[in-house]
Amino acid sequence: MHSEKKLTKEDTWRPAELRKHIRDKDNRDGHSRRRDDDERKHRGGQSVERRHRDPVESRPERDKERDRRHGDSRDRQRKDGSHDRRGDKDRGRRDDEDRRKRADDGRDRRETAPGKEDLRERERHRDRHKDKEKERAKVKEKHPEEDRDKRREDREKERRREEQEREQRRERRRRDESDEVRRDPTEKLHREPRDRKHRGEHEDKRRDRVVQEDRRRTEDREYKEEVRRHKEERERRHKERRRHDETHKHDSASRERQDSKQSADDVRSSRGDRERTERDKHKERRKKEEETDIERRHKERGHREAEDEDVERNHRARSGSKKSSSGKSPTYEKREEDSNPQTAGGKNGEEKAEKADLAEQEYEEDFEKLEYEEDFEDVEESADEGEDGPDVDDGKEGPPAQASKEIEAIRRAMAEENERAGSARSRHSAVREEQEDKPGGSEGSERNQGETSRRGKFIDFVAAKQREVSQKVATRQKKRSTELLRLIDLDVTATFSLLDLPPVSEYEMYIKSFGNANAKQAYVQCNEDDTDRDVQTEEIEMCEKWTQHPPEYSGACGDPNPSQEARDKTRGELVLDSQRLMSFLRSASQVMVVLLEEDQAERKSLRKLKTQKDSLSFSDGSLQLNAKLPFLLGRQISLVHFSPAQKHTMLSVHTPTATASAVRLDSCAVVCVWNIWEPSRPQQILVYGSEVQCCCFSPGKSSLVFAGTPVGSVVLWDLREHSSTHYRLKIGEDDWTFRHPTFSTDAVMCGSGHVSPVTSVEVVPSFAAGRLRPELPPLASEEESSGLSFQLASLDESGLLNFWVVVELPRGNEAGSPTDLGLRPGGKVKLLHSSSLLTVQRPSLREAAKTKPFQTLLLKYHPTDSNQFFIGTSLGLVSHGTSHGLKAPPQFYRFQEVDERTADVSAIHFSPFRPNLFLVGCADGSIRLHAVSHDRPLAEWMNSTAGEAVVSLQWAQTRPAVFCVFDAASNLHVWDMLKDDAQPVLTEKMTADRVTAMAVFGDSRQQNTYSGIALAHESGNIELRYFTQTLTVPSPAEEGKLESLLTEAF
Amino acid sequence: MVEGSDTYFLRPNHQLKFKPAIVKGYIREIVRERLSGVQYDPENVPELTLSLAESVKDKVKNAGFDRYKLVVQVLIGEQRGQGVKMSSRCLWDADTDNYAEDVFMNDSLFCVVAVFGSYYY
Repeated sequence: MHSEKKLTKEDTWRPAELRKHIRDKDNRDGHSRRRDDDERKHRGGQSVERRHRDPVESRPERDKERDRRHGDSRDRQRKDGSHDRRGDKDRGRRDDEDRRKRADDGRDRRETAPGKEDLRERERHRDRHKDKEKERAKVKEKHPEEDRDKRREDREKERRREEQEREQRRERRRRDESDEVRRDPTEKLHREPRDRKHRGEHEDKRRDRVVQEDRRRTEDREYKEEVRRHKEERERRHKERRRHDETHKHDSASRERQDSKQSADDVRSSRGDRERTERDKHKERRKKEEETDIERRHKERGHREAEDEDVERNHRARSGSKKSSSGKSPTYEKREEDSNPQTAGGKNGEEKAEKADLAEQEYEEDFEKLEYEEDFEDVEESADEGEDGPDVDDGKEGPPAQASKEIEAIRRAMAEENERAGSARSRHSAVREEQEDKPGGSEGSERNQGETSRRGKFIDFVAAKQREVSQKVATRQKKRSTELLRLIDLDVTATFSLLDLPPVSEYEMYIKSFGNANAKQAYVQCNEDDTDRDVQTEEIEMCEKWTQHPPEYSGACGDPNPSQEARDKTRGELVLDSQRLMSFLRSASQVMVVLLEEDQAERKSLRKLKTQKDSLSFSDGSLQLNAKLPFLLGRQISLVHFSPAQKHTMLSVHTPTATASAVRLDSCAVVCVWNIWEPSRPQQILVYGSEVQCCCFSPGKSSLVFAGTPVGSVVLWDLREHSSTHYRLKIGEDDWTFRHPTFSTDAVMCGSGHVSPVTSVEVVPSFAAGRLRPELPPLASEEESSGLSFQLASLDESGLLNFWVVVELPRGNEAGSPTDLGLRPGGKVKLLHSSSLLTVQRPSLREAAKTKPFQTLLLKYHPTDSNQFFIGTSLGLVSHGTSHGLKAPPQFYRFQEVDERTADVSAIHFSPFRPNLFLVGCADGSIRLHAVSHDRPLAEWMNSTAGEAVVSLQWAQTRPAVFCVFDAASNLHVWDMLKDDAQPVLTEKMTADRVTAMAVFGDSRQQNTYSGIALAHESGNIELRYFTQTLTVPSPAEEGKLESLLTEAF
Repeated sequence: MVEGSDTYFLRPNHQLKFKPAIVKGYIREIVRERLSGVQYDPENVPELTLSLAESVKDKVKNAGFDRYKLVVQVLIGEQRGQGVKMSSRCLWDADTDNYAEDVFMNDSLFCVVAVFGSYYY
């Protein structure tokens, strides 16, 4: 509290002191002013901080200064001589200590450091201030409400300031000026007593003037004091002290006035000081001229002030009384009002005032920026005072009251002192002033808000233009951007990866830090090519096949895939080889089988001969063909035929049977081809859908079998066809192949074929008519050259003779021929119809009318002349015709006595030894021997068969004069014309097992003993009977006998 | 030209378009030249980065990409086996604007230089 009080005292005092010094300097002369400048500069260098740092350095100056003051203060002390002052001093010391403790100002601490005297001096110096402060405080104490009001007003002002910022600033500046003007004299008064004491030599002029001013002022003050007193007395009745002061009316009054003024000045001066110091600083910074101007102005204002002061004070007092508030708040307002009179009121210094105004204006411009700071500090100080005000109240009225007289005296000397104020003083005060700034600065936060708000407003204003400009720019930019954005599209790009540095793996790091720099790691895989693969599934084989229904033979399927041609080729080669093998095996096996069977049959026949010798007189042995086959059971053998070329090949025709059997061939005729040396089984089994009327082998090799049927068709079987292509049937343990016809004219050649039952089929001999040796069989080479092309003649009952050409195709078509519908699929032989001939010419109309219908029953070709054919008719006649060319002389071969007889010719047989002789057997039992050249027979034997119809008649192959006749009563008659030309030599009756067919076999050329007769029995057995030696061994007389018969007849 | 109806160059001349390949070449050249064999030094890297950016900018400026505003970003980091990911996104007119970047690395440092060229209409 005390320290603060002191501080405030110093605050209030020091700026004034400074100003006084400045003015003094100015007053004195330019030289001193210049010196002051220098010193001030120096002082400026000697900052507060510096003083803090090195107090010793600054001490000498201060000491000097103090020494100077020392006397002054001592004088004063002497004058005062009051005990109160001592107490004050003590208190001041205490205050000093307090202040030291507070240590908010380093200077205080330092103050203890200087010597006792120094300290004392300082204290005294301060005490003096304290006294003044106390007085002022007293005044304040008297007006506590006023203080509060003042503070309130301050606050209000702050608020108002925001609104009237600029005005206030201007006002304040004006106020400051006025403050300076007002304050200066009072300060002079303060100073005067001191200075006057030890400075005798004063400029008289000046002094006089000052004194004058003082006097005038005192008068004014007295008046004012009176006015104030009323108020004060009312307010401070309780204060004795005050009354005591009143006894020293004049002094106290003056002091009161001073106090009040000072208290008022507190605000003003503090503010003014600030501004001034600021200004001073700027001054220092800037031109000296300005400075000097100011100082001059200050000085002059000081004079002016002296004159104006009265008025001013009056105003102040009046307003103060009016408002019943402290002097402070009125002073604010007053100052504002006063500024005008002050500036305008200068009578003698008008020009100077103008100058000062100019300077002031300059300042205004200069300080525009600094106004914040000024404001800031102003507020601070006012706040300071607000705080300090009440503090001062601690009753310290005594010392000021006692010192009032002295002060009054001092005041008079102030003006002089002002003039004389040394540079050191001014320096000192300036330093103090600076120090005083500090506490003010420490409280700045109070006003921060107001200040910032003000600043913000200020910025707004200043920046307005800029804002305007920038706004203009912004609008232009905006317009531009809107226009542009219509035209372009902005898009957010995908994230560009600028850098992607993966962290180093631990291993790499290890290698990097510990690995060998020149080594690299590599790896090698050994045995890389040793891979192993395994597939468990097998490849799927595929091939294409075709098939045909019905699957009668295995050839009904094939393999058309060309990709398998290679395989087919190899197979073909194999087939070729196998064909050769097969052909070899076929022939060889036949030989072997024949040999085996011969061996067996010989032993058997030997036995049989013994056993059956009794039964048949003409035979000395027999061979049983194994016809007891399941599919032949119950069938009658209608025909037995031997091949003219291969004498050992025989076929037997089995008629269809009505009895059902296991094999479904009931309605079919079966033709079995036998090799008589292989009697155990037939070589081939041929099947035809209906009955077979007649059969014949192909000339030469008996590879084809032709047959005529009652339905008028001619069929042929190719025995060379592979058995695999035919219907196979397994019966029991044996496999049987049933061959269907290779070619059939059934319903195929309706126009050209037969419409009547075919009665005979005969191969047209291929050799030319002029062939002389008909006995010789055609050579194999001839056969080969002619191929299989030969003519076939077929005769039906109506006498139509058809000639067919047998054609062998080079290659059979497995799928069947589209054109030859009669050809079996895979068949290679077919019949082509070449010509047809109607052979029936009735011998006479008369005969024809009375006889039964004429039928052609039998066809025979002349063995050596293929042009001549002989047809047996139903009238017992044999018609003689030629295929082409002139007709042969006898048209008919007739009976001996009559022309014709209704008896069918049942058999015609040419003699193998004499081709121009042939035997004719008739159904009435008559037998004729004809020569080709004569129509009448050479010999005719009636009733040789006892009236029985001749079924079959054949010459024996080995003896020209022997022939066999079989009649319908199953009697076999053997004729030997050498022995007896009128009746048969032997007649054998086979009634036990009737014979249904008979054929003579034997080879006329070899004339071996193996000739005989094949007998087909009713039971189905086929028995081969060998002729006895007498019947087989020819005699030379036999042909002579035939010759004789020819010559005898003609 | 009538006032109020401004005209703009909406597209750069084809020859004067920002070409990333060329810029990348520049960057590569400069960075190779300046950084090859340089060890990472935290003291020097800030100035190095700045000067690199400046030189790249100057080079690209001289390349004559008309009416292009350039942004050069240079990043130098020490290589200590750490993983680094760096990416950028732009809101721009993809027809005219483009960017080029190049990465330089040696044993001690890595340097990423990205140059963004934005067309001024």
